Amino acid sequence: MTDPAENVEYRVAHLRERLAAGELGELGVRVEVRGRMVVLTGTVPSAQCRDILLHTARQELADLAVHSDVVVAENTSPDHAEELP
Amino acid sequence: MIRVAAVGDIHMGADSQGLLRPAFDTLPDCADLLLLAGDLTRHGTPEEAGVVAREVRGLAVPVVAVLGNHDHHDEQPEKVTEILQDADVTVLEGQATVFDCAGTRVGVAGTKGFGGGFVGRSAGEFGEPLMKEFVRYSRRCADGLRESLDELRERGCEARVALTHFSPVADTLAGEPLEIYPFLGSYLLAEAIDTGGADLAVHGHAHMGTEHGTTAGGVRVRNVAQPVIRRAFNVYQLHTADEAGR
Repeated sequence: MTDPAENVEYRVAHLRERLAAGELGELGVRVEVRGRMVVLTGTVPSAQCRDILLHTARQELADLAVHSDVVVAENTSPDHAEELP
Repeated sequence: MIRVAAVGDIHMGADSQGLLRPAFDTLPDCADLLLLAGDLTRHGTPEEAGVVAREVRGLAVPVVAVLGNHDHHDEQPEKVTEILQDADVTVLEGQATVFDCAGTRVGVAGTKGFGGGFVGRSAGEFGEPLMKEFVRYSRRCADGLRESLDELRERGCEARVALTHFSPVADTLAGEPLEIYPFLGSYLLAEAIDTGGADLAVHGHAHMGTEHGTTAGGVRVRNVAQPVIRRAFNVYQLHTADEAGR
């Protein structure tokens, strides 16, 4: 029997719990296992949030490769409106 | 024509001050009012609410908001509401508000809403007290929205917008895992919108969802979560019944 603490699925679940409960309050980032790699996707409100997220993920999943496609929210005005007839 | 600007899920924290203000300062050029579709903060603390309040204080267009689940996390939604109201934001929960936009009466009805899921795949008011309360709470939010939309009709609004945080339809959740749809919205909100009547429904909450949807009754739904629209806000131009008849 393997130690549940070594199971990648549970470790990812614990990372998600930590991201939600911690200073980010982050529920909107997807964390998925791809073989021995963990992929993060989603949008966070600031560059600082992205840095904290990556630091937390790499700390929690220290022996796994963590790949991040997380982007920072864009704060520009729209260049057009949608017309609803 | 009414120009409605909307964004949700801006999740402001101590590091966010000033990020959205430059875009918000352009609002008078492109919109008549700004709707904030909940999750304005990360944890719903008074400090984070203060960041949001400073970001929108003194804007040249009216600002209307509903709270989201994040804005409830610190269990001080009344305080968050008060801080936003002090910055002249109209915060709605089962309530309606009316504005005169260049001679046109525009009404906004709002509720945070809640989950429960969509027809055929929804939670029922059955079993354990917690489960029943889950569904009853969602129903109370939807009832408040319907009553507010009824009120806007009685007050003679030429354009009516339903503002929620949770989604009224599954359409705008496309991209989210199917398994979490019941935590993202409820058909009870759509039923309230179709019964009360609205020209547009705006929501947030589903960061991985898509922008466009429609209720079963044909009301256009837009998911304006900032990660979805990838801008500071989007603008929707509504034509009033008077214009359509010309």
